[in-house]
Amino acid sequence: MNLEMRGICKAFDANVVLKSVDFSLSGGEICALLGENGAGKSTLMNILGGVLPADAGEIKIDGVPVTFHNPAESLHAGIAFIHQELNLINDLAVYENMFIGREIKKKNGLLDAEQMCRETQAVFDRMSLEMDPKTMVRDLDASYKQIVEICRALMMNASIIIMDEPTTSLTGPEIERVFEMMRSLKKQGVGIVFISHKLKEVMEICSRYTILRDGKMVAEGKVADVTTDDLARFMVGHDIRTMALQRARKTPHEVLKVQNLTDKGNFRDISFTARAGEVLGITGLLGDGRSELFLSMIGAGTPYTGQVYFEDKPIRVRNTTQAVNSAIGYLPRNRKENGIIKGLNIVENGSVVTWPKLARFGFIDRQQQNRLFDTQVKNLHIKLENKTDPIGSLSGGNQQKIVLAKWLSTQPRLLILDNPTQGVDVGAKEEIYDIILNLADEGVAIIVLSSEAQEIIRVCDRALVMYHGAIQGEVSGAGMTEHKIMRLATGAS
Amino acid sequence: MKKPQFSQSQKAITALRKTWMTNALFSTGIALLVMIILQTFALGFEFGSFSEWFSVWLSNWINILRNNAGIGIISLGMTLVIISGGIDLAVGSTLVAIGAVLMMLIDSGPKGILQNWGIVGFPAYLIAIVIAVIFGLILGQLTGLLVTKGKLPPFIATLGTMKIFRSVTQHFMQGYTPVVPKPFLNIASLEIGGKLLMPIIYWAVLAVVFYIISTRTAFGRQVIAVGSNERASKLSGIDINKVKRRVYAIMGVLVSVAAVVQVSRIGSMDYANAGSGYEMDAISAVIVGGTSMAGGKGTIIGTVLGTLIIAVMNNLLNLIGVPPFLREAFKGVIVIGAVLLQKKESNS
Repeated sequence: MNLEMRGICKAFDANVVLKSVDFSLSGGEICALLGENGAGKSTLMNILGGVLPADAGEIKIDGVPVTFHNPAESLHAGIAFIHQELNLINDLAVYENMFIGREIKKKNGLLDAEQMCRETQAVFDRMSLEMDPKTMVRDLDASYKQIVEICRALMMNASIIIMDEPTTSLTGPEIERVFEMMRSLKKQGVGIVFISHKLKEVMEICSRYTILRDGKMVAEGKVADVTTDDLARFMVGHDIRTMALQRARKTPHEVLKVQNLTDKGNFRDISFTARAGEVLGITGLLGDGRSELFLSMIGAGTPYTGQVYFEDKPIRVRNTTQAVNSAIGYLPRNRKENGIIKGLNIVENGSVVTWPKLARFGFIDRQQQNRLFDTQVKNLHIKLENKTDPIGSLSGGNQQKIVLAKWLSTQPRLLILDNPTQGVDVGAKEEIYDIILNLADEGVAIIVLSSEAQEIIRVCDRALVMYHGAIQGEVSGAGMTEHKIMRLATGAS
Repeated sequence: MKKPQFSQSQKAITALRKTWMTNALFSTGIALLVMIILQTFALGFEFGSFSEWFSVWLSNWINILRNNAGIGIISLGMTLVIISGGIDLAVGSTLVAIGAVLMMLIDSGPKGILQNWGIVGFPAYLIAIVIAVIFGLILGQLTGLLVTKGKLPPFIATLGTMKIFRSVTQHFMQGYTPVVPKPFLNIASLEIGGKLLMPIIYWAVLAVVFYIISTRTAFGRQVIAVGSNERASKLSGIDINKVKRRVYAIMGVLVSVAAVVQVSRIGSMDYANAGSGYEMDAISAVIVGGTSMAGGKGTIIGTVLGTLIIAVMNNLLNLIGVPPFLREAFKGVIVIGAVLLQKKESNS
């Protein structure tokens, strides 16, 4: 089977995501689809999988034009999409998952479990897989879950399988197991689209690559002709540092020192220091463990071993209240889930952390609350009509600034910012960068967690790059390029 | 000339609609007003003079308020519990348990605990009430611990304690009927200007106190924060377990107050039936008052209005002679209607 996508365009309102993208795939080949976050990979595959309609362009299968209105039509045409979050039901057996939604029934209307098991077994035999169809999905490890999804796609006669970052949550041997499965599929003439950030894996398993950047196809070819360096450069587009940060380096005291921090699986053997007035970046790809690391450190995550020193004193933060009292601020990622509190109005959202300090005999000193808040509004250039309006009435950028104001009102000496510009438009982004740099000049130690290399380069003095829960390397000064960060983040050294 | 006039009235209507849609208290207030008008008509105007009508109207109202003071007081705590994202099904059973302890302490019969220790009269009542309140606090803390340390869903934790408290109380109070001393009854039955106003005063004072707690104190706002977004609250340095424990402890204290009022009003307690259904009545009042069962949204004023709506409706049904068995159905209609209305509000 041959797949051809020609001139695919897609825009969400004013935001153009795909600009006339071409993509092709033949049976029996594994093609890597690469690009930074937001490059348009997922959108392209969602169009192929019938999840989204294309604005323009055509899809041909074996030369015949097709249109998919929903995932079922796409599946019917032989295209299966295995999403990053697996679609298996943990509380059902493997064979039940294989037949979910199209169960085989006996004449009396009851389920024909034996027939379903037999057919499942047949697919397993074809892939020379040894697994009991009656195993509960919850008892499978992540790689076998991935494999069950692949088998389900095969059972539905899929001849093209889209795999969206299948290896993110897998360990080394598990990845090898999935790769073996993919090679076996390849031999049977199935075409695979492999979406991944891990260039080493791409080199190992893929025969071709297609690279998207800012919604355009920028490169394609045979994997054998390129190196991981080339791929990283194609993805980023350039290896110069935009608007490089040139701040005078002082030699101030250490605020945070971390030694050999390890938890049960998210991060291991992490050691670093952060100094007053310094902006330290921590970056990496999805699943690198950076958020989990800092959540543990502020007492809101998994327990860890190792030692943290705050201002030269050993500290172990048991809960977030203690973190606040120790002058450690943590602005979480995902503003909607972790940042804003919809039941509180704007000024309350900006003051919730300081209430214990503002309270006299339990009563919030509203005058002082408003005064503090007004100062933040002025300093952060927050645009709002009435500070007692609901928080939802503000734009994303201003909401983010309110969450930032909440932390600044505690006057932290260490401020950890996780994805500080998530869901914020370009203008507000720049303003937030300025705020970060000003804070650093005032002597706050700042740690910025971000998956955007450009952001790290824009605000950080130096950055640690994490890969699979460990620090893969450090970049600073002129050595801080997107190219180098991407290389480290994908597991190269 | 007519056109601008039309658009002006149109504007007024849109403004009114907006207030109706956005301000839950407004629609609840209107509902109560309608209920009161209907009730006033049902009471009728066939009296000799205005003053005669007024005295009947007034005593009818005092009856309504007094009869609902217990539920009203419990609903105040239930509001905080539900705003925090929880629920307390055990309030009726807790009331019985606290009532039993209180009556054993003040019993003027041969088994009266304080009396046998030689403490009688006012000091005995004071000690008994303090112990009852502490007991309520402990029972509330127990629920709080089950919810926070035990990580039980509040529904399950309080379903369990509901069974335990009533059953244990009934067992221990078998064949024992304490005698409540006459002066103790004054707590609820002291007449002011010939009227039995005490329970209403307790309710009103507590309503004001809880209004202030929920709007002005760090704790009150933290309750809303925790109910609205537990994770964000935690990451904002709020000790969410402490907030939840306090909410249930306060609930326990309010139930003790309700128990004191109930014992001093009736002078006895039926351990099998007293307080049964209180949890549902309190939850109904809170819901009708516009508090969201999902937590994070709700007001004390709304709950007071909600309690009154249900109370006035009961009175109305009584006045127009609806058979008693049917009255609960109307309560159900009010609860469902109120939530349907609130759903519309949040969708718009």
